[in-house]
Amino acid sequence: MAGGDTTGPIVQLRRRVKATAEEIFELWTKPDLMARWMSPFPDAVDCKASCDFRLGGSYSLVMASQDSSREVSGTYVQIDRPRKLVFTWMGPLTNHVTTLVTVELNSRGDETELVLTHERLPTPEMHIGHTKGWGHILDHLADATSKDC
Amino acid sequence: MIEIEARKEVASRTGRLDAVFAALADPTRRAIIERLSRGEARVTEIAEPFHMSLNAVSKHIRVLEASGVVERQRKGRDHILSINTRSLDAVDGWIGRTRSYWEKRLDAMEHLLRVLKTEQKSAPKDRKHGRR
Repeated sequence: MAGGDTTGPIVQLRRRVKATAEEIFELWTKPDLMARWMSPFPDAVDCKASCDFRLGGSYSLVMASQDSSREVSGTYVQIDRPRKLVFTWMGPLTNHVTTLVTVELNSRGDETELVLTHERLPTPEMHIGHTKGWGHILDHLADATSKDC
Repeated sequence: MIEIEARKEVASRTGRLDAVFAALADPTRRAIIERLSRGEARVTEIAEPFHMSLNAVSKHIRVLEASGVVERQRKGRDHILSINTRSLDAVDGWIGRTRSYWEKRLDAMEHLLRVLKTEQKSAPKDRKHGRR
């Protein structure tokens, strides 16, 4: 569900991964490794990844199956190796609207807690923190609809 | 071909979604939605708690109507507003699709980590991990 006091919908996932933060960071930032897991096509014939890994640099993932292709691209907003990576994300999932993805890697012994946050960027007319967020409205609505059932 | 239809469907769905996001980007409009999520109300009832003119509130209501989030019914002289819950389902839909997308990607990422560890064990010592 959506998070707390935010202006746009947010998706957040948490996972314990059996690997070091450095190992995971590599998977997100090395094109040859990115190409091996980021494609949503199970039968992808081709997935090309490229990136200019520096602040403000851009990346792109082109995923092609036999009859279609998709591209995801964006730029790096924050790089704090191997703890945090923030980049913009634009692709079919977001109707080619720019969104923001944050990957945080917290070491927990020999495991790493990965926290992924995907959020839609506030538009210029959005006023941050002035009122209750989306989560509140949606929760309210969920309550209202469940009462109807 | 199915893929193209699916993409068109996604494009129109996310187009509507963007309209909903834009409509709800404003705190006053979110407050109106919050009020309406408790039940339908007259325009004048909606306007009451806001420190602004009826005209200013009406403008916000029109934006909400244009995006499909709010519907207006006329009962005699009264204008009754209610939420079109299906429009907000689209927001839940985006959240659901995005979550499922990343769940699958993270599964694939963990799978690759296991593959890389096996490759590392069988590969010659001087080969850098991750290279094919």
